Amino acid sequence: MIGEVSIGGVFLPSLLVLAIAALAIVVLLSRLLALVGAYRLVAYRPLVDVALFLLILGLLASLTTTFGLHP
Amino acid sequence: MNRILAPLARWAVTLSIVVLAVLVAVRLWRHYETDPWTRDGHVRADVVRVAPDVGGLVTSVAVRDNQFVHKGDLLFVVDQPRYADALNQADASIASARATLEQARRVAKRDLALGDLVATETHEENVAKVATAAAALDAALAARQTASLNVARTAIRASVNGIVTNLDLHPGDYLGAGHQAMAVVDMDSLRIEGYFEETKLRHIHVGDKAKIRLMGDERDLEGHVDSISAGIADDQSKDTANQLREVQPTFSWVRLAQRIPVRIHVDRMPRGTQLIAGRTATVTILQPEQQKPAQPQPQPQPAANTQGPRR
Repeated sequence: MIGEVSIGGVFLPSLLVLAIAALAIVVLLSRLLALVGAYRLVAYRPLVDVALFLLILGLLASLTTTFGLHP
Repeated sequence: MNRILAPLARWAVTLSIVVLAVLVAVRLWRHYETDPWTRDGHVRADVVRVAPDVGGLVTSVAVRDNQFVHKGDLLFVVDQPRYADALNQADASIASARATLEQARRVAKRDLALGDLVATETHEENVAKVATAAAALDAALAARQTASLNVARTAIRASVNGIVTNLDLHPGDYLGAGHQAMAVVDMDSLRIEGYFEETKLRHIHVGDKAKIRLMGDERDLEGHVDSISAGIADDQSKDTANQLREVQPTFSWVRLAQRIPVRIHVDRMPRGTQLIAGRTATVTILQPEQQKPAQPQPQPQPAANTQGPRR
């Protein structure tokens, strides 16, 4: 996988950029889930949050690959 | 009943999410860490260090900076008058040697005609004089050849098809023999070199298809693995003055995979791609399952790439 995002000539690994994006999404998602009350269905909330982060990161990585943002 | 089932269901949900996340993480890890790709690739080319074989003032420079030159094109001329003079001098030496030889021969012939009137020693001396003069003529002829070679070498020509780069040579500059005057980047030797971590080497074989992307260029280049470097310098040991080896005593907690240069031959590139020696490239070695659909037929190289990589 080729991963590079250029920000003003500074090339960052795209995984880093995706991880930041995934973190932001997870923060929002966890607020939403707390609002809905979905956390009542799980046993240990921090573990689920970490798992959600990984899932969203994987999703973002495969999505950006599919749409050809980076091969 | 519900008291036992509810926590159990909660744990089941939690664990299944976690297992899913671990699977995704493993896939990501393999994608990023074990697939053979590197961001540490560079466009490389052989550079010919052009130097004159004869020293002297630069009379004229026939090329501009960044000019494309073909093999055999004139690059610059060094002090032609001086070497032309040397050639004339060599011609004069030949004439002189020839005259000496003829005179020696005449003397020998005359003395021979006189027969016993001339001492045997004189006859012997005459023969020796003729031989010496003949040898001197041969030496003069050889010196003329060298002088004529020097005259030919005052015109310095390109030995490869390439581009003159970073030219800083002007008429009036003085160049010593063997002093580098300019650099010509051999355009036939352009290739990509990817520095791959040694942990990824088992996925790389000679002939594997590769995808190359230059920094700042969105289009892919296609190539294949030409060869893998046979060695890199060992940074843990070096030779010392007394021929003994100095080995660094180390015990590192963190060890870094070393990088091995892998030479990639460019097969196809989009029109207008600027393959400039030193550019940064990202190289991905395609795995066998990726290679089959991606390679319909080797297509002819675009015209812009006629001076492309050789072999």
